[in-house]
Amino acid sequence: MTEIQNSNPTILDAADLPTRLRTPQKSADHGLFTSALPLPAEFDASSDSDDDNLMEEPIDEQEIYDLISSISDPEHPISLGELAVVSLPDIAIKPTLPNVPESPLQTVTVLITPTITHCSLATVIGLGVRVRLEQSLPSRFRMDVRIKEGTHSTGDEVNKQLADKERVAAALENGALMGVIAKMMETCQ
Amino acid sequence: MSALQTFMLVVDHDKEEAKRIAEGIANVTVDIETKKATLIDTVQSLGEYINDEDPILRGKAISYLTAVISALSPKYLTRQQIQVLTTFFCDRIEDGGAVAGLKVLQSLDRFNKYLATQVAEALFSNFQDLQSRSQTQRFHVYELLNDLMSTHRAAMRDMGDISLLGVVDIMTGEKDPRNLMIVFSILKVVMVEWDISNHTETLFDSVYNYFPITFRPPPNDPYGITAQDLKGRLQDCIASTRRFAPHAIPALLDKLDSTSPNVKKDALNALIACIQAYDPNTVSKFSITVWEVLKFEILNAQEEFLSESSLEALQTITRRLSEGVTEVSQDLPLAKYLQPITKECNEQLHEPQNKQAKPAQSILSCVSAASPVSFTLVVQTVVAPIFTLYQEADGIVKQKALLETLNVLFESATTIFGQWTTREAEPAIDNPLLEFKDQLSEILGQVLMGAAKEEVSFRVTALKGFLRLSTLRNFFQDNEIGLFVQYLDEILLKEESVGRDDLKKEAIAALAEISKHKPRLIIDITFPAFVATLPEEDEGSDALYLPTLETLAQISVERDIFETLFRRLFSKLSILLQKEQPGSVAYPRAILVTMLYVMQQRNMGQDQSIDLYYEKVVVGLCRDVAASASGMAKNGILNDPTVLDTLGRLCNLLVRSVSTEKQEQVAENVYTLFATSDVFVPVPFNQNAGADQERTIIISTYLLAGLSKESGSRLPYINPDMSALLLDLVNRSVSSTEPAIHQSYLRHLALLVNKFLSKQDLTIAEQLFDSLLQGQSTEPNTLNHATIRTIFWLAKALVLRLAPTTTHILTSLVALISSPDQQTSVAAAQAFAIILSEDDILSSTNGATIRLLCRQRLFTTVIPLISSRIREVNTAVTDKAPDHIKPAHLTALSGILSTIPTSLVMPELPTLLPLLLQSLDLQTSGSTAVRAATLDTLAVIIRDNGVVVIDQCGHVQSLVTRLLKTTVTSNGPGAVNSPRLRADALKCLHLLAAHQSPPGTAPNARAPPAISPLLPVKNQVLRSLRAVLDDPKRDVRKAAVDARGAWLRGVDDAPEEDD
Repeated sequence: MTEIQNSNPTILDAADLPTRLRTPQKSADHGLFTSALPLPAEFDASSDSDDDNLMEEPIDEQEIYDLISSISDPEHPISLGELAVVSLPDIAIKPTLPNVPESPLQTVTVLITPTITHCSLATVIGLGVRVRLEQSLPSRFRMDVRIKEGTHSTGDEVNKQLADKERVAAALENGALMGVIAKMMETCQ
Repeated sequence: MSALQTFMLVVDHDKEEAKRIAEGIANVTVDIETKKATLIDTVQSLGEYINDEDPILRGKAISYLTAVISALSPKYLTRQQIQVLTTFFCDRIEDGGAVAGLKVLQSLDRFNKYLATQVAEALFSNFQDLQSRSQTQRFHVYELLNDLMSTHRAAMRDMGDISLLGVVDIMTGEKDPRNLMIVFSILKVVMVEWDISNHTETLFDSVYNYFPITFRPPPNDPYGITAQDLKGRLQDCIASTRRFAPHAIPALLDKLDSTSPNVKKDALNALIACIQAYDPNTVSKFSITVWEVLKFEILNAQEEFLSESSLEALQTITRRLSEGVTEVSQDLPLAKYLQPITKECNEQLHEPQNKQAKPAQSILSCVSAASPVSFTLVVQTVVAPIFTLYQEADGIVKQKALLETLNVLFESATTIFGQWTTREAEPAIDNPLLEFKDQLSEILGQVLMGAAKEEVSFRVTALKGFLRLSTLRNFFQDNEIGLFVQYLDEILLKEESVGRDDLKKEAIAALAEISKHKPRLIIDITFPAFVATLPEEDEGSDALYLPTLETLAQISVERDIFETLFRRLFSKLSILLQKEQPGSVAYPRAILVTMLYVMQQRNMGQDQSIDLYYEKVVVGLCRDVAASASGMAKNGILNDPTVLDTLGRLCNLLVRSVSTEKQEQVAENVYTLFATSDVFVPVPFNQNAGADQERTIIISTYLLAGLSKESGSRLPYINPDMSALLLDLVNRSVSSTEPAIHQSYLRHLALLVNKFLSKQDLTIAEQLFDSLLQGQSTEPNTLNHATIRTIFWLAKALVLRLAPTTTHILTSLVALISSPDQQTSVAAAQAFAIILSEDDILSSTNGATIRLLCRQRLFTTVIPLISSRIREVNTAVTDKAPDHIKPAHLTALSGILSTIPTSLVMPELPTLLPLLLQSLDLQTSGSTAVRAATLDTLAVIIRDNGVVVIDQCGHVQSLVTRLLKTTVTSNGPGAVNSPRLRADALKCLHLLAAHQSPPGTAPNARAPPAISPLLPVKNQVLRSLRAVLDDPKRDVRKAAVDARGAWLRGVDDAPEEDD
């Protein structure tokens, strides 16, 4: 990267990004005082009950958001979430075959909003998101990563590239490109 | 042979000889000093060599003379002799040894200024070709010069340009680091003390040519000179005189165009040094130029450390320009310098939510925190525009960013004007923020209380700003801070929780912070408001009082406040104890926990009110407990085991902090609990004690734990020895059915044996142990659960103090696992974790005897026994052991490993790893605890030591296979792998990929030059983890994503080449 294209983008506060709220533990000993009262280890033999273990937690939009919002922008050491390149409302999970209810196949749609309309790195970002999802989601998921309509001057072109399996595969063979993407994903945890 | 002749012959070859010659020289010297010979004789005896054709021979002769001179006493030579010798050496200065001779001579008292000049001139005129000589020769010349500089500086300085140019000429081209260290320090003297006006540039160039230093010391460098040493000396030279400024500052700024961050770093450091050293007028001349260049480094930061150094440079300039300035005016050089800076920042702040607004804030922060004057100037130019922007701002994001900028200024204000608690004198200038006080308090109050409830981070920003201003010295009036305190109270008491409750957390922290500065406000405003919400009794199901108590606990660490809190809570508790219908015991317990929490945060030993707390809690409440145990209380609060446990902890903490006399008082009342015998009969030896009475042992145990060893002599029932008391406790513990009472008996027993039993009486405990093992029951090798726990606690007490029979004890315990009775075996195996596990009563805080080597001892005694027994079971063909034996041993093993530091485990890893792998093979739901402990151990081993250790044992493949097996989900009840196990196994897999290089190597130095030992299993892992990505539990999926990512990225077949 020779020249930074957008040197002064808008940044969201990390504390304001959407996060999953854990249901607070309802127990007699409230958080603060547990440090004052360490329970003898022998008493709490089975902490996770069977009930808890059986409850399923399906993959939802927030989980997808958590997977991709921590990817770094290739230009700045700032996450895609903070730059609002990806946002929770622009993520959707739908059954791939709505007519076949028993099919486990699901499609994840992620719309990307580049920080500026002529950003040449939009493709790289899209590719990064795609790679991250492919590495992190089970095989029954289909990815659909696109540029959000009206946010990029050559959005259609980029979308065509991102949707083209052959081209994506070819891009992933490119060492330099994969280097950039690997760097973007270093911050994912 | 004369000393001279010997010297001439062997000086070069022989150490032994040289020593003898030294004696010869010493003889000559003595001869001269005692007037048996004269110096002239010595010189004359040199005659034949001194004019020889061979320079080596001449050098030796002169060295001889030097040796003689240096051996003479410093007072011996006369002024005249020195003069003659100096002239002689100067003539022969190029011959070896002459420089050393001059070095000796110049150090003599009678060596004068004139001679110094002569020597210097001889040096300058004869060593034009110095750089063609050897390093050592150059070194000697520099040393001589350095000595002249320090002992005869005036003479050297009087030579003026001659010495200046002489030094520069002589050193030009020097490259050796050792020599450069001297050269730089010589040059620095010249720069500082000579009149350099005619040769500023020459002198500057002579050192600046070396910038930047790229020297890298060779490995095992004997001289130990680092690049940093050289950089330091060079930097001192560059910064030595303001006359260099016109050369140095532009040159250093130019270096910032370099592509190497290290060069830029050096340039910035040198620049900072220059700013600190040059005078303010000079700094002022270049200040704006420096800003223009550094601006770029900060706004478009490449590397964090560069922008930090740049900010430091800006701040240093600000500080220098503020020197001696007492009145604020726009004509100050400081004002002229700050003008473009604040202008730039103001421009950046037009879009305060953008990326470059952050660096602009940092710039404002660093220049405003430099001095009271700079702060005033910045505030005057920046605050009003921020207010305007704020009013016009079209959204909360923007407003919030502006508030953050204000907070930065508040922080600088705190640096400059101090907080209420700051003791140093206040600056003479008024705080310029005072002008905006009402405006600020209005905006902050409006955001904090008026903004939409879900705008948490916006409100938090306002809260932080308000807090800064409230703690700022002499800024707000008390009633204004009081208003803020009321806001905080309102947030905490009236508002619903939103999201992660960040606002409430911040509000509590803010109250705690204010309590340090204005405790009165907290006591007067917050306490009544909060205490008023505490109910008389726990009426409903949801404990609304808990958040209130929590908040009170967090803000009451200051002494005055804590005493108020204690009094208020104690009276609440007293009322509760008098009620016929007190409601749930959770409430009194919560009150006690609150007191306990705050006392733990404070240093109670130093508290002046400790006696009050002691009387009220230890004496008063214990007496109430005794009365309650005898059925004389209005309600059952003090019969509840959880209340007693909390009260006990409170007593324990207080007993530890009170005086010796009070401790002895406690010791005498450990069982009577300060009650008279007509009210309460103590538990020991009381055969008719009911459950309520027996429960008082909980309090007794905590009291006992807090006592010092010395006060143990005042304990009751210990004469003539403890055997009766111990036996009574053992009998009670073996037959006890209520868990809390049982546990207290065990701890009580352990405390007595570990802490108070004397060395000679240890046999009592050991006999007790043996008799318990033999069992009261008729069936051999069958012991009930309570008995087994008693045995292990007794063992714990003895093993921790490393009693003489430790080995016997441990061996007996291991034998218990092989009991044919499954229940005995399993219970014993599980109890192994007891021996070394941390206990908060039998702890070093409570003065228990815990020997350092006890872990080692247990490990080396027990592990071989367990591992050989497992091998036996595995290989036995006939005579098969019962099925439970092997899992039981593995359970015991995991219990021990969980209490032992990995450093002890590592040497035994080759033996242990197969056992750990076998634990993972236990695919039953009953083995969950064992497997979880095993995974924990494995995780620690991998994290601390990397994959290498596993690879060395040859178990990578088998470990990975078992870990993968543990990640598999199976549905239905009694699922074999619980979510926690699956996540733990994934964590281990993640750690494997993340710690491929052994610890200690730098993470970015791509260490594994060889193929990673993980490579053969990479595909297997990636394929299996793909399925785990669809795990029903979210936490497991997250762990799977991380692990898979680490394997994808971290496990390579070839090390990556650097690019």
